[in-house]
Amino acid sequence: MIGLVGLNHKTAPLAVRERLFAGCREQENLLGGLKAIDGVLEILHLSTCNRVELVASLEDAPRALDELESFLARYGGLTDEEAKTCLYTYRDREAIRHLFRVTSSLDSLVMGEAQILGQVKDAYRQALAQNATGVVLNRLLHRAFRAAKRVRTETGIAANPVSVSFAAVELAKKIFGTLAGRKILIIGAGEMAELTCTHLVGNGAEDITVVNRSPAQARLLAEKFHGAARGLGELDEVLCDVDIVISSTGAPTYVVTGEMVRRCLRKRKNRLLFLVDIAVPRDIDPAADDVENVYLYNIDHLQNIVDENIKNRRREALKAEAIIEEEAANYVSWLKELEAVPTIVSLRSKAENIVRAEMEKASVWMQSLENADREKVEALVHGIVNKVLHAPVAVMKEESAEFASQDIVAAARQLFRLDD
Amino acid sequence: MTSVEGILFAAALFCCALATAGYLLSLLVRRVALAKISTWILAAGFMLLTLNLLVAAVHWTGWSSFGSRHFLSIYAWVIAGIYLGLQLKTKTRLLGAFIAPFILLFLIAAAGQGSDRNLVPSQWQGGLTTLHLVLAIAGEALFVLASAAGAMLLIQNNLLKNKKPGPLGRLLPSLGDLDQINHFGLLWGFPLLTLGMIGGAVYAAFVWGGSWPADPKVVWSFAVWVFYGFLLHQRLAIGWKGSRMAVLSCLGLSFFLLSALGIRFCLATVHNFI
Repeated sequence: MIGLVGLNHKTAPLAVRERLFAGCREQENLLGGLKAIDGVLEILHLSTCNRVELVASLEDAPRALDELESFLARYGGLTDEEAKTCLYTYRDREAIRHLFRVTSSLDSLVMGEAQILGQVKDAYRQALAQNATGVVLNRLLHRAFRAAKRVRTETGIAANPVSVSFAAVELAKKIFGTLAGRKILIIGAGEMAELTCTHLVGNGAEDITVVNRSPAQARLLAEKFHGAARGLGELDEVLCDVDIVISSTGAPTYVVTGEMVRRCLRKRKNRLLFLVDIAVPRDIDPAADDVENVYLYNIDHLQNIVDENIKNRRREALKAEAIIEEEAANYVSWLKELEAVPTIVSLRSKAENIVRAEMEKASVWMQSLENADREKVEALVHGIVNKVLHAPVAVMKEESAEFASQDIVAAARQLFRLDD
Repeated sequence: MTSVEGILFAAALFCCALATAGYLLSLLVRRVALAKISTWILAAGFMLLTLNLLVAAVHWTGWSSFGSRHFLSIYAWVIAGIYLGLQLKTKTRLLGAFIAPFILLFLIAAAGQGSDRNLVPSQWQGGLTTLHLVLAIAGEALFVLASAAGAMLLIQNNLLKNKKPGPLGRLLPSLGDLDQINHFGLLWGFPLLTLGMIGGAVYAAFVWGGSWPADPKVVWSFAVWVFYGFLLHQRLAIGWKGSRMAVLSCLGLSFFLLSALGIRFCLATVHNFI
């Protein structure tokens, strides 16, 4: 069976996650230690800042799961109380679904983020390198990656930005097309402005100018982006030259007035200008938005877009859940087959071999029979064998549907001496 | 018209109708993938139309075989060619939703026309007339492109100004790309139309002497030419851009289309092609 033990940002506070993350990282040959646990056949260890999880193929499920739980509790230094509230345990279908949801980023703090898929892939790579996985987990992980890919391409879960700074970047792309070579002006030195600028630069924007009341601070930020620092008095002139303005000063009045924007638009021959005002109180006069070819977005506008996108992601998540269900069901049916089918096949072939051998032995006296009678005898023998095998095969199939066929399968192999 | 020509034309028309439906559907269900597929279908239609025109050229027996059908087909062919050429450079697949209906309209109009009409009277046939026709068609096709980009720009501008980019805004091309296409259409359409008109004027001066400006189509075309000239001037010299240029291009094209149809059906003209 498959089991999953772990904790995540929903069940455990940061302090606990930190402890466990560090505890597991310090441990040398962690996977080796886990695999040595009695009943653990295959193991995968996933550790990110938001979750620590162990996924395993198990032989003696309840006991092995308890062992894994206490393993995590030990390395995270968890108290009994913490272990009870923070750790979760899933089995079989639940475990499969959970892993697929995690890999598809449905269980992430920011739903739809792309990082988790890479992290699961890294964890799998490590497990592969240490020979910790086998047939069951290999296929499970490949199916998880497939589900994640499907969720990404078939739903819009990762389509739209859900942070203010990314929303600004998306808008800039919708205004200018490509951001390559675009010039950016940062007014003030807010963290959010810096973050937005980083994203814009990541998308190709190049020329950064920083304007600040304090020249020293302007220089400091400009150096970060290999840009130029200018004084507040030069704002008029700089405005004529740039494409994107990000403003976040603590000024009590407008730093950029509507008249300034109107004037500069004439000078810049109406080239498109994107103004992002993330300051409260606002830095840019709303009248600037009335000017043709100027697009002014303040923090509320951006937040509204983000809220709308989050709502969309939630809607898309419903579609994603359906994909997860489908992929999990596919894997489960494969797994069930894996448990019972080889035994059923070898049972049938053993019976056929016996029939063939006995028929050969009987062929001497059967020669005296008429053809029709001989066929009747053969049909009778096959009929008896099938009837005898029907019940054990049916029971194995039924039990495998409930993930409980392991014991029955083992018994059948022993009773019919299939492993000899 | 040979049967091969007929089959090729019908297949081109079918592809174009399919592409138009695909483009419009992509707007409706908001999936760029559909527009991408439609672009390929339109490209297939363009190839078929090219073959159709080549077959017509092979069977060319002189100007008497040149009819409205060919004229309108060439119109559609030039618009499709320019649009598809642009697709190699920009990612503006959705623009097809505004261009493909035009192409389809021209092809449907072409299908409704007899191909055996003697469109250009024998006394006017010659190299200069061909030049006049080809350049004027290419120039006008580029204006269609400029206006289609303009119409799309107006929608995108409206969404962005109202702070509601939403799914439609994400689907439509960026303002910058659309403005560039508008610019490209005007910048190349105007000189081509100018050369085409000069070709026609020079020829008319020889054949008709002083009476040529009396033709209503000539007068109206001149007015449209002046309007587009004004637009290009404002764009290059004054720096008009974005929504203002888009509105004016759309106005220019609607005047042009209305006048072309009005003159065709209400007034007597030697330019009775459509």
